[in-house]
Amino acid sequence: MEQELEQLRDEALASLETVSDDAQLESFRVNYLGRNGQISAIMKQLGTVSKEDRPRLGQRANSIKKELEEAYSSRKTSLLPASQTAATDNPDLSLPGRKHQKGKLHPVTQIMEEVCGIFESMGFSIAEGPEIELDYYNFEALNIPAHHPARDMHDTFYISDNTLLRTHTSPMQARVMENQQPPLRVIAPGKVYRCDSDITHTPMFHQVEGLLVDQKVSFADLKGVLTVFTRKIFGKDLPLRFRPSFFPFTEPSAEVDIACVICNGEGCRVCKKTGWLEILGSGMIDPEVFKMVGYDPEIYSGFAFGLGVERIAMLKYGIDDIRLYYENDLRFLSQF
Amino acid sequence: MKFTTNWLQEYVNLDGLSTETLAEKLTMLGLEVDGVTALFEELADLKTARVLSTEPHPNADKLTLCQVGVGNETYQVVCGAPNVRENLAVVIALPGTVLPGNFKIKKSKVRGVESQGMLCSERELGLSEEHTGIMELPDTIESGLSFLEATGLKDTMVEVDLTPNRPDCASVIGIAREIAGITRRSLTIPFSDVTFETTSKSFSVDVESPQLCPRYAGKLIKGVKIGPSPWWLKKRLLSIGQRPINNVVDITNLVMMEYGQPLHAFDFDTLAEQKIIVRTPRDNEKEFTTLDNVTRKLDPDTLMICDGNGPVAVAGVMGGLDSEVTDETVNVLLESACFNSVSVRKTARKLNLPSEASYRFERGVDPGGTLNAMERAVSLMCEIAGGTAEEGGVDNYQGRQPLKSLTLRISRTSDLLGIPLTLTQVTELLESIEIRCKEKDEDTLWVNPPTFRIDLEREVDLVEEVARLIGYDEIPIALPQVNLSYPDQDPARVKRNMISEYMTANGYSEAINYSFYSSEYPAALALAKDDTRINHVDILNPLSEDQDVMRTTLIPGLLENVRRNLNFQQTSVHLFEVGKVFLPNPENELPDELTCLSGVLVGARNGSHLPIHFKDEEVDIFDAKGIVESLLEKLRLYGSGIETGIEFLPTPADSCEPFAQKNYAIDLRYKEQLIGTIGKLSPEVLKSFSIKREVYYFDLNFEMLCSITPAPKSFSALPVYPSVKRDISLVVSADTASGKLVDTVLNSREKLIEKCEVFDIYQGDTIGSGQKSVALSITYRSQTKTLTEKNVEKAHNKLVKLLSETYGGSLREA
Repeated sequence: MEQELEQLRDEALASLETVSDDAQLESFRVNYLGRNGQISAIMKQLGTVSKEDRPRLGQRANSIKKELEEAYSSRKTSLLPASQTAATDNPDLSLPGRKHQKGKLHPVTQIMEEVCGIFESMGFSIAEGPEIELDYYNFEALNIPAHHPARDMHDTFYISDNTLLRTHTSPMQARVMENQQPPLRVIAPGKVYRCDSDITHTPMFHQVEGLLVDQKVSFADLKGVLTVFTRKIFGKDLPLRFRPSFFPFTEPSAEVDIACVICNGEGCRVCKKTGWLEILGSGMIDPEVFKMVGYDPEIYSGFAFGLGVERIAMLKYGIDDIRLYYENDLRFLSQF
Repeated sequence: MKFTTNWLQEYVNLDGLSTETLAEKLTMLGLEVDGVTALFEELADLKTARVLSTEPHPNADKLTLCQVGVGNETYQVVCGAPNVRENLAVVIALPGTVLPGNFKIKKSKVRGVESQGMLCSERELGLSEEHTGIMELPDTIESGLSFLEATGLKDTMVEVDLTPNRPDCASVIGIAREIAGITRRSLTIPFSDVTFETTSKSFSVDVESPQLCPRYAGKLIKGVKIGPSPWWLKKRLLSIGQRPINNVVDITNLVMMEYGQPLHAFDFDTLAEQKIIVRTPRDNEKEFTTLDNVTRKLDPDTLMICDGNGPVAVAGVMGGLDSEVTDETVNVLLESACFNSVSVRKTARKLNLPSEASYRFERGVDPGGTLNAMERAVSLMCEIAGGTAEEGGVDNYQGRQPLKSLTLRISRTSDLLGIPLTLTQVTELLESIEIRCKEKDEDTLWVNPPTFRIDLEREVDLVEEVARLIGYDEIPIALPQVNLSYPDQDPARVKRNMISEYMTANGYSEAINYSFYSSEYPAALALAKDDTRINHVDILNPLSEDQDVMRTTLIPGLLENVRRNLNFQQTSVHLFEVGKVFLPNPENELPDELTCLSGVLVGARNGSHLPIHFKDEEVDIFDAKGIVESLLEKLRLYGSGIETGIEFLPTPADSCEPFAQKNYAIDLRYKEQLIGTIGKLSPEVLKSFSIKREVYYFDLNFEMLCSITPAPKSFSALPVYPSVKRDISLVVSADTASGKLVDTVLNSREKLIEKCEVFDIYQGDTIGSGQKSVALSITYRSQTKTLTEKNVEKAHNKLVKLLSETYGGSLREA
């Protein structure tokens, strides 16, 4: 039997040499290695040999089977076309990966969410209100009566004598305070409208309004909260300043300037050579506004602020024409 | 508000204050400096010169040949001006000088004679429109000097962006007062605390409407000689961009800029009955011609200045043509008055006549400063125009208010500002800008704001003054001591953010379009006459016709975006927008605002595709349907095992959106109610938007989506036993919806069915015409055992029977 085994091996290896296509290879496999092939046949006979020879012959049969299997698979590989062999399977990895299309959030949304996120982390809640607003909330409740010169600061789109497109998000101050009692911390993001259109103005833009009302809230607190905000959104090291200003619904009022991010405060066209850029308006809520919503200004104080989202995006990203925001050009949107 | 540093210097010593420091101080006082400009820099190369001799040009009648001395040099210049004469001090532009308008002076020959420069007129220097002759400089000016320095034109103009609460600073003196206060320097004002008795016998003043005119003062100046102003006066006006007119008018303008008090000069001899009446128009006074020679309609409540015959000026806004000062005027009646701010504002608006005067009256003019400004102007008219002021005058001050007296609590001030303050400190700060303080008790001051500070009416106004004067920089930075709170998140907002994230992850970029658009869009979208979306909220004062109404749908904006992107060669446009539409609501003061979620898809399915990785597949209606389905699945409103009542139904051809193509429209319904549509834009609509590609869209009611309760997340045990798949091909009539076959399978009573999917639809020769073959793959599974061939066979046969019976189809051998 031992001889038979060795003969089978030599014959099989010789026959493998002559194999030249897949069909011959398969018939080789069936003939020698298949379930009913010659190796199996010999192995089935192992039961008939003496107990002393059985382990040795069994081992030898197994090693021959293994040898033939290896020879078979190496022959199989050598029969494959060149491109399919492992040695030559060499994809061009300089090609880019297979990516699926992804969209981008509008830069205004990105900034708005960033702003809202900062204030939410300070415990502010978010409120939204109507974009078509009553004159009362847009002006009267904010201490801007009819024929007040402060109305010049707002180029208003009117819907009727009494209704208009809100010119700022500040009407939300009155709406929120009418419905809630202090203490409160609220921000109100949204669209606002002014009839003005040029390289720095679009007739629609976005603001985020904020207010904090409680007992003993001071101007120092206003400075604190807005300093934290400015540092979070523009970075820690940027100089900022609070500058006296005027809004009819806050007193004292302050505008917040940051050092010009374009020229690093050296003075350029964007900052009108002042080295400073205005980024938000703020102030202590005027007692008249409190009276209008039924809060006692002797008990409560608070501050309010408002910022222009497009302006922040312009400064952060260096966008130089505000009109780009509303053309929704994918070449623009995909940059952020 | 514009002024120059030289001008400011007249009232407060600016030594040691650079222009930068000055600008910084003003800005930090709340007087934001908008610009600092070195004036007339373009005239830096011009020199003063003197005409040494003149002789007629040999070849031209109207030209003069002049020898002009510039320092020690002498130049030959040909001049065409009639006023050129010997010994005249003039301005010369030597060769190489560039005049305003980029006009370069060269040595040249004029009619055969060399000219080595040019003598300039005011217009050539850009100073005024004066061009009848060359500019004549004061005789005292030496030749050969820098023109700017010799004439004092070298100056720096500062422009302050005034907030409406500070009309007192619409004057150079007002600005000077702030600077004097903050630097603790003294303020010098030409005339203050002027009073006089009403004694004039030459004219009378009658104020019929004292509530519209609290104070009216007049004074008569006789024998003036109208002529050009002296150089220093012209220079002041030129430096802030005002055009000199004549001495009397220039004086009124100068004093207005100086004191913030608008003045008006009447030609006294044109005033009928030598009287002034301040009143509203009589019934027959409907029109009035202002000095710009425009006849304007008068409203019954327009405050007018009248003489014995009728109106001679619109109070506080503009004078009349008939009473204005002309070259022949000899006697001037000067008006210095205080008019009601709202009244002036209304009038200036109505007549569309904003002016320096109305600007000041609208914001409020100091009723206490009326006579000071008048006296200053009178003295200048006597000095410059050679007039003689009549003794006394008229001061009609019916609207006199008692001096305001406010209280200011130091503790309150400290609390509001967050900085400890003392009574002495606050007193010192306020008094630095002439706000008088007196101690009431140890924590309280009596405060008397001066009349020019009409903005100071309440305690909080004084708190602001204190903050401003300490300097906002000096107030510490603190954080509010607040109670912890746990605000609820607005669910709509949370959902919107979730949707936006999902859409971007799926290749859609977010668009934001204007909330207004053209009222022409309904026609472009082929909306029917009874479509509610053609009823717009109109804007009364739109910026342009293509933004005249509030939008009622997001689709037009998105289509405009598609067009733009395709024009810029994008191969794939996937956009979505979450925004409001506005629908009139007659029941309510405010229209309804409804949030929509809409999107558009055009071109390549995978926009970032590389030809090597992706086939050139274009989006179709199933991409539009698919994004909405998967979004609703994400929101847990739709999908396998979720029963919220949302259905996607093909829209019958007669009820699809007018802008959608028939048979390419899907309704999204929630319990029968339409909450959105999906479809393909019709070729006609695309044509009206000039789009040449196929565009698919979806348009969903965001608020309805928010109102539907999402299916809760809950666990079901994973199957333990294997599933068995069986396919079935059914030939049915071509108009059978394959989705119905699936529904029939899933709704059958057979419990073993786990899943049913369409995997092929075939129409062709081997199948009868009007027929199609739908291939379904059905998955069977039991929760309790491994299915045997027999179990599956039984269930499957039942299904085949059910389908054939329901749809009259025949089984097709695969």
